[in-house]
Amino acid sequence: MSAAVVLQDVGKTFASGVQALAPLSSTIKAGSFTSIVGPSGCGKSTLLRVIAGLSAPTTGRVERDAPPHSTSFVFQDATLMPWATVAANVALPLRLAGRPDAEITERVTEALARVGLDGFAGSFPHQLSGGMKMRASIARAMVTGPKLLLMDEPFAALDEFTRAKLNDDLLALWQQNRWTVIFVTHSIREAVFLAERVLVMSPRPGRVIADRAISLAGHRDDALRLSHAFTDQCADISRLLAEAIQPPVNP
Amino acid sequence: MNRIARGILPALFGVALLLLWEVMVRVKGVPVYILPAPSAIAGALWNDGGDLLVALSVTLEVTLAALILAAVTGAGIALALAQWPLAERTFFPYAVFLQVTPIVTVAPFIIIWVDNVFVVLLILAWMAAVFPIISNTLLGLKSADTNLKDLFRLYGASRMQTVARLLVPSALPYFLGGLRISGGLALIGTVVAEMVAGTSGTRSGLASRLLEASYRLELARALACFVLLSAVGFAIYAALDLFSKRLLRHWHESAKQTDI
Repeated sequence: MSAAVVLQDVGKTFASGVQALAPLSSTIKAGSFTSIVGPSGCGKSTLLRVIAGLSAPTTGRVERDAPPHSTSFVFQDATLMPWATVAANVALPLRLAGRPDAEITERVTEALARVGLDGFAGSFPHQLSGGMKMRASIARAMVTGPKLLLMDEPFAALDEFTRAKLNDDLLALWQQNRWTVIFVTHSIREAVFLAERVLVMSPRPGRVIADRAISLAGHRDDALRLSHAFTDQCADISRLLAEAIQPPVNP
Repeated sequence: MNRIARGILPALFGVALLLLWEVMVRVKGVPVYILPAPSAIAGALWNDGGDLLVALSVTLEVTLAALILAAVTGAGIALALAQWPLAERTFFPYAVFLQVTPIVTVAPFIIIWVDNVFVVLLILAWMAAVFPIISNTLLGLKSADTNLKDLFRLYGASRMQTVARLLVPSALPYFLGGLRISGGLALIGTVVAEMVAGTSGTRSGLASRLLEASYRLELARALACFVLLSAVGFAIYAALDLFSKRLLRHWHESAKQTDI
């Protein structure tokens, strides 16, 4: 499989002198689902912005195997335009690209149906619940048929039940579309449930301290969330994170 | 409290106040050139109504022209300042200067430099009204959501697209807030300008009439002018408030229907 993103000694120091990312290297395979976990303030979001091209690394290189504008980003906040209807929000990337109206209508309708928002095209964001706003945000991200989907703690502000439901739906959508997904979260359970691979980051300046392949047999569903294999993987990553925050003292 | 009670209470208070005024003036026998009773003011409104309405239309014409000019130039200036930070640094202090200078002190110069009275009044009223629109709109343009800005960048939006689809809608509620303040200021600016410019003759506005009447100690007529000017100020505010709520009703917190 080819690489979707190659990070080579990528480091980021802000103008204020704060070093957010220690030089780190990693390769993300095309079509894979990778989660990044780490303590808060470790530079996860900075890394995602660097991968998106929204922020330039101070050292190293980022190679993306994706044509321009085929990267989508989902923020923790749904980040919808409050003055526009759900349909107009979802249509935004296509409008900016100057696509014809007929194509926009068709693709927006399809994207809304796939996230379960058919019937809400004409609603305004303030009329939707938090979970529905996030669904609209995901519809906007997938309406372009992206190659690379970057998600920055998208479900962190949602309640547990909505979050589990959106995890299931996101997984189903990924299985249909096979975008390359990089998913930042501070929930270990969410990371393990969704991803094929979990990168664990250290406290600031962030670097990758562990790279775990997640091998879970069978369908990822509610039963899996209770299985031993799942909880073992979570415990393993939880231990790694705890060590990163407070390194074990040598006797 | 229901809707009817909310409307009736202020009205009752107003009526009570007017009654008290009427009774005090009659009981104490206050001469009409010191303080006319409300009935005398109403009489002046009735008798001179046609004449005063013509003067009112003159004042209103200047006020609305100044307000529209301030809205267009204010929004345009804010947009330019937001696009070029260097321009903001260079010119914004002068906008502040425009705001803090009492227009009464500028009026004599404008009167000397400009022949046309309408233009003199327009300039002075514009000066009074434009600043809240510039500063509010500028604030709004800078308050656009940073994540949305990132999203526009990610999807390769042009500068024009970003302005039209993101910055202008983000700034709209702020612009409208500025417009509501400026509506009142445009009227104040016009009134002050009329008083200073001392316009006279048939094309004079309501403020000149007020001054004229007070010089002649026709206080009932002067107060009738005052009542009309207040009513106009109130109407301008109400109209702008309604306009703002209609534009924002679908999405902005300030215009949402509340269930009380």
